[in-house]
Amino acid sequence: MPADAPLATITIAGGGFAGWLAASLLARALPDLAISLVEVPGPDRSLGVAAAADVLLPDDLPLLGEAGWNGPDLLRGGRAGFVLGTALSGWRADGATAFMPYGEIGAPLGPIPFHQLVSTMRRRGQPVNMANYALGALAAQAGRFAPPPPGDETVHAALTFGLSIDTARLAEMLRGDALERGVRLAGTWHGEAVQRGDGGVQRLVLADGTSLAADLVIDASGPASPLSGARDDWSPWFPFDRVASARRTSEAPAPPYVHCDAHHAGWQSFAPLADGVGELFVFSSADAPGAPAAEPFAPGCQQAAWTGNVVRIGGAAAQHDPVAGLQLHLALADVLRLIALFPAACEHPAEAAEYNRQWREKTECAFDTALLRLACSGALGAVWDRLRARALPDRAAYRRDLYAANGRVVLHDGEVLEEAGWTALFDALCVQPRKGDALSDALPSAKITAHFAAIRQAMIAAVGRMPPYQALMAQVAA
Amino acid sequence: MNGSAIERIVIVGGGTAGWMTAAALAHRLQGLPVSITLVESEEIGTVGVGEATVPHIRFFNARLGIDEADFMRRTSATFKLGIEFRNWGRKGDSYIHPFGVFGEEIEGVAFHHLWARFARAGGRDAVEAFSLPVLAARMDRFAHPDSDPESLLSTYSYAYQFDAGLYAAYLRAYAEARGVRRVEGRITAALQHAETGFVDSVVLESGERVAGELFVDCSGFRGLLIEQALHAGYEDWSHWLPCDRAVAVPCRSEAALSPYTRATALDAGWAWRIPLQHRVGNGHVYCSSHISDEAARDALLGQIEGEPIAEPRLLRFTTGRRRKQWDRNVVAIGLAAGFLEPLESTSIHLIQLAIGRLLDHWPDRDWDPFCAREYNRLMDLEYERVRDFLILHYHATERDDTPFWRQVRTMAVPESLAHRLETFRKRGVVVNYRDGMFLDASWIAVYLGQRVIPEAGDPRSEALSDAGLMLRLAAMRDDYARMAAQLPTQAAFLARIGANAS
Repeated sequence: MPADAPLATITIAGGGFAGWLAASLLARALPDLAISLVEVPGPDRSLGVAAAADVLLPDDLPLLGEAGWNGPDLLRGGRAGFVLGTALSGWRADGATAFMPYGEIGAPLGPIPFHQLVSTMRRRGQPVNMANYALGALAAQAGRFAPPPPGDETVHAALTFGLSIDTARLAEMLRGDALERGVRLAGTWHGEAVQRGDGGVQRLVLADGTSLAADLVIDASGPASPLSGARDDWSPWFPFDRVASARRTSEAPAPPYVHCDAHHAGWQSFAPLADGVGELFVFSSADAPGAPAAEPFAPGCQQAAWTGNVVRIGGAAAQHDPVAGLQLHLALADVLRLIALFPAACEHPAEAAEYNRQWREKTECAFDTALLRLACSGALGAVWDRLRARALPDRAAYRRDLYAANGRVVLHDGEVLEEAGWTALFDALCVQPRKGDALSDALPSAKITAHFAAIRQAMIAAVGRMPPYQALMAQVAA
Repeated sequence: MNGSAIERIVIVGGGTAGWMTAAALAHRLQGLPVSITLVESEEIGTVGVGEATVPHIRFFNARLGIDEADFMRRTSATFKLGIEFRNWGRKGDSYIHPFGVFGEEIEGVAFHHLWARFARAGGRDAVEAFSLPVLAARMDRFAHPDSDPESLLSTYSYAYQFDAGLYAAYLRAYAEARGVRRVEGRITAALQHAETGFVDSVVLESGERVAGELFVDCSGFRGLLIEQALHAGYEDWSHWLPCDRAVAVPCRSEAALSPYTRATALDAGWAWRIPLQHRVGNGHVYCSSHISDEAARDALLGQIEGEPIAEPRLLRFTTGRRRKQWDRNVVAIGLAAGFLEPLESTSIHLIQLAIGRLLDHWPDRDWDPFCAREYNRLMDLEYERVRDFLILHYHATERDDTPFWRQVRTMAVPESLAHRLETFRKRGVVVNYRDGMFLDASWIAVYLGQRVIPEAGDPRSEALSDAGLMLRLAAMRDDYARMAAQLPTQAAFLARIGANAS
């Protein structure tokens, strides 16, 4: 195959969620490609850990919309529930619960960010709960919800939501779409491959003995991929090594947020679906000897996601501790990045180098997000004590220390959280700035208090105009 | 106010950096128990090469509540739609880097991929036929952009070209009206705390001492406080940007009022032309190991359009960045913080950015080290990214007609830039980052303008048929041409909004 021959054939290894997501989006974006998919036996670990429900972040929804999948499709196909944020219990040393909303919290006063105003008032002795000034948190609390209508310019427009989806069901829909668009289901693959010298793959050998060659191989077969390359091990930072997941059905839809509960050996989360809840149970095997059956997992990532003609996506590229609920977001980012950088030719070092750079940035930011979510917590238990006793890697430590010093948020290129998201995370876990913004501290309390009251009043009024969540979901179901 | 709030701020040096800082702090700290003192000496000239700006300056002015027409009248300002680069890719080439985008995407495929597809097949359409600000600039036309995203008039932004000395004077009046105290005098010493090295005060020739808690060093290249007192150190980038001198001379204006700056590549550097209402600013930035001062001056005088109205002035500099722009209680802003030649009019923007970041990380007298650390991290990124963009202009050239051009064309460039260039050259992908002032459109303008045409494009663009694509592009081109021809001349527009300098 000449190096500059146009790239014409793709094989996707793995028929889990990540594989069918790639198949559907690639078939839509590049209809001339010949795409084959081989299935890998066993449960779907293509996103990292097998979870009954995974979350699409607010920013994912417009991206998926542009790629051809809009909200109603996702709601129907994924039996989805809306997500306004995450409720935490057991995560704080003071025992209080907390809510981390999506979207902005409060509103700045002139040039001064809201969280600096909060910090000023707290240092003056007035307790302030940030969630009281977040539209998503107030809507979740009131059990009311409606997506803002297009073009809305009222307070309602600030309501920011993600979707919790039934991963297996949505994978079915993506599969149907991909097959309809000409993706060929080529058989079953047990992991046998003829490698090339450059980290790439010449062909996959299928269960029936036939061979499948491709210009580009997309590895969506999860963390235990036979095509795995050199790997960084994150287990020194992430002590949790067992995961179990279950789907429970319920009569009524669960409330529109993820509930995450820390316990002595790990944590447990409950993600809302249209007709039930996706549960995830993650713990340290050393700290829970009598725990029920669970699968082992080991956080870490590939040193390069793209080597030769093999692009590893989702869990095949990186396995994150699922605490920050990012594994679906990251797999989608991988697929969209691949489409944006899709190579023109069979040899494509420039595209691979840029893909790896962006992927590395994103992976490191997601690593920091999950790590700080765990390491800043005040949860009780020996495993949590061990986790907190470890020095953080420099970049994660700097994020925490800068925020703890003066409330500033570090933002790198590959962030999964923006300023409001980091603020919500630190604040929910009781990381509070020692010092505030000197210019915020110069404001009289009365002015700040009046600003807070105005925000809260406008938000409560906006929530009051939203329908009850249950009514909305009944309408969606109909 | 907490008990350790900064109460006395001393700005060392007037000029553009000093008075922009004074005006912005006076505005933002209004009503607080803070005194702002600016020390400057009329004997020390200001550099004032930063006469051309980028669009961000409008937000700086707007935040201060400055009226555009009034400001333009009093600084003899013109509008600026971009920069024309002559002789950069090859001798005889000309392209404009506009404050705006080229073309529109089709079916989710970025315009430059569509254009490059025809360019690779031998298409003759210059990319500037797809940019309203470039077409308008070529015809000396200008109008304010429109905020309606459906309008072609929304496809660009604009900046100003002004007399930096008049701008400093304008901001001085603004700052003094808001309580900034100006102290005239040459600084002879900085007194520092014996143990910490923090600057306590500066001593003037008259013997007067000006004490403060926060010092902003706007003293220019020499870095009176940041370097001479604190020895923050300087990172030399002249192996990548070897020009180290400039000679500047204003001349009478002989041509129509152009709404753009020009940068003409010469044998061992380049010449700027900045048209103001009452005169034209000219300068020659050059590399002293390739050309003598006399020859550089002669080259400049030989190509200006009108009679010189002042003696040529020589400036020396070393391109690079202060190792710590904020060290202890001194924050360096402007040339004291680093020097990047004015090829992309970044000087004033970097001042503006520094002021904004200082306010974002406003310290108190406990001097939490995190303020300076984060400030320095962010400013370092900005300087590096401007640096890479400037190096691109020199490096992406086919010129080999002088030793200077052979040197910059073949030199090793920073890894960050090498990756960007390679990624664009191979596949037309614009590598970009969260921080850094130049967005994708700017990189594309310079790549294409300097003949870096992607060898391959976005495979999605192949789905469009040649004929269909050609029709869409032809329609786009006609729309831009028609719209540009309808705009008023800049001279007429200045008169219409009452911005003519007397």
